[in-house]
Formats: sequence, C-alpha cells, structure tokens
Amino acid sequence: MAAPAVTHRGLSRQAKLLLILVVGAAVSVALGVYADSHTPTGERPYTLFFSDTIHLKVWFATAAVSLAVVQVLLGLRLYDKVHVPRTAPPWLGDAHRLIGTLVFVITLPVAYQCLWALGFQSADTRVLVHSLAGCFFYGVFAVKVLTVRARGLPGWVLPVAGGTVFVALVTIFVTSSVWFFTSRPAGIPLF
Amino acid sequence: MSFKRFVNAIEVLALAAAITFAILLFANEPSESGNASTGAKVYAANCASCHGADGGGGTGPKLAGRVGRVYPDIEDQVAVVTKGRDGMPSFEGDLTAAQILDVVEYTRTDLGK
Repeated sequence: MAAPAVTHRGLSRQAKLLLILVVGAAVSVALGVYADSHTPTGERPYTLFFSDTIHLKVWFATAAVSLAVVQVLLGLRLYDKVHVPRTAPPWLGDAHRLIGTLVFVITLPVAYQCLWALGFQSADTRVLVHSLAGCFFYGVFAVKVLTVRARGLPGWVLPVAGGTVFVALVTIFVTSSVWFFTSRPAGIPLF
Repeated sequence: MSFKRFVNAIEVLALAAAITFAILLFANEPSESGNASTGAKVYAANCASCHGADGGGGTGPKLAGRVGRVYPDIEDQVAVVTKGRDGMPSFEGDLTAAQILDVVEYTRTDLGK
C-alpha cells in the first residue's frame, strides 16, 4: 500500500482535502441551522431601483448565473479545454478570479433576504430543493476558495469544486428565477 | 494599479461583504417576544373589525383577558393567526411573521386594559 502523499506543510493530501470539505460542510450546515432556527421576518428590506425585492432577487440571480457561465468558459480556457482565444491572454486567471468574486458578491443580498426574511422552507419540492441548494452553494463555494489557496491537492479537485459550485448556482436559479419568470401570468418583470 | 492588484482589492472587499452579511443576519434578529405597541397598530388595522377595538368580541370571539387562558402556549395562538382556523382567516400573506408576533403579544398583554 502506497504511503499517503505528504505535502511540504506536513499534512497529507487526503487530510488537507478532508479538512477543506469539513469547513465547507460546516458553512452549509451553519447556514441551514440559522435559516431553520431564525424567526423569518417576512420583510422585504431593500429594493434598490427595482419595484419589489423579489424582482431584485430574480434579476440578481440571473446576473450571477450569467457571470457564472462566463466563469466556466474562462475556466475551460485555463484548463485548455477550449481554444478560444487561440492564445490565452496573461490576465485570464485574474479575470476568472474577478468574475468568481463578483458572482459571490451578487448572491449576498439575495441570500440575505432568503435567510433573514424567509428562512429554511420545505413547503414543496421546489422550495425544499432551493433551500438545500442555497445552503450547499456557500459551503461548496468555501471549498472552492480554499482549494484554490491550498497547495498539493490532486489536480481534479479544483475543477470538480468549481463545477459543483456552478451546478449549485444553476439549481438555485432554476428553482427561483426560472420558476418566477415562468409562473407569472403577467410575464417577466423588467424591474 | 495592475489588474492583479485590482482583483486582489475586489477580493478583500468581497470578504468584507461576506463578514458584514454574517453580522447583519444576527444583528437584525427580531425580538422573540414581540412588540406590543407595534402590535396595537396591527390589531387596529386587521383584527378590531371582528374582535372589537377593545378585544371584547364581535363577529369574532372575545380576546381581552381571555386569550392567554385559551392559548397558554403563545405558539398555538401564533399558529391560529398565521394559518387561520374555522371562521378565522389566515394572515400569513398579509402580515409578516414579526407583525403576527407583535399582535399576538398585544392581545396577551395590553388589549382591553
């Protein structure tokens, strides 16, 4: 049996990966516990230039998913899975970081209203999946960020973590914005 | 400023936003007991037409001086206001959870006094 690969800081790859996964799980569980135990206020604390908080949320979520698609394409270029542009510009990695950060920031006001005003709900399948995916998203996002910072992890960990973040975000989007856009008789609200 | 430094600065701001997000979740926690003075306004606007301005009853049952005995556990009364029961309508879509807690607190403390 091969000895576990030991990194220069003394932790084995497996231990480091396990530690990162535990942190991510803790983030998800903490959000779920908060959302479940906190008394939902039912309030709509901010609208910015939208006519309602729900409109702000669906459009912010749409913006986050749109940027996340760009983020995935940049990631594919970084891993040489696509070849457009033919020569990768030197700023590609930083652009990938910037867009990922923007996606995260855009989700915060949406998540705040969900957690604070609505809490964890399980009234039907859509709402339950949305609540679970919302908590999972920030946990796996933490895993992704820690994976980027950690050294010596297997090469597959980072793309898997990034892909899982994207899947979680799309799940949130489908169970909220897409549902909202398609279930409204009045059509899609611009603001 | 190079692009890398700009991205680093944005990441620091994002971290600050995340910390603020976590703090606000707990800083704005509503009171567990409700606010009776706010509840009085909610009562006047939503409940008085059926239960009477002084809680003495009308088309709905008397509440003043009685509701605490009918519902020893405040959660049971919150559930009735939230979900409705018999002739009592649900206020789930009309009032926030905090408003329901406030009006329930009012009916159990100051109503009719």
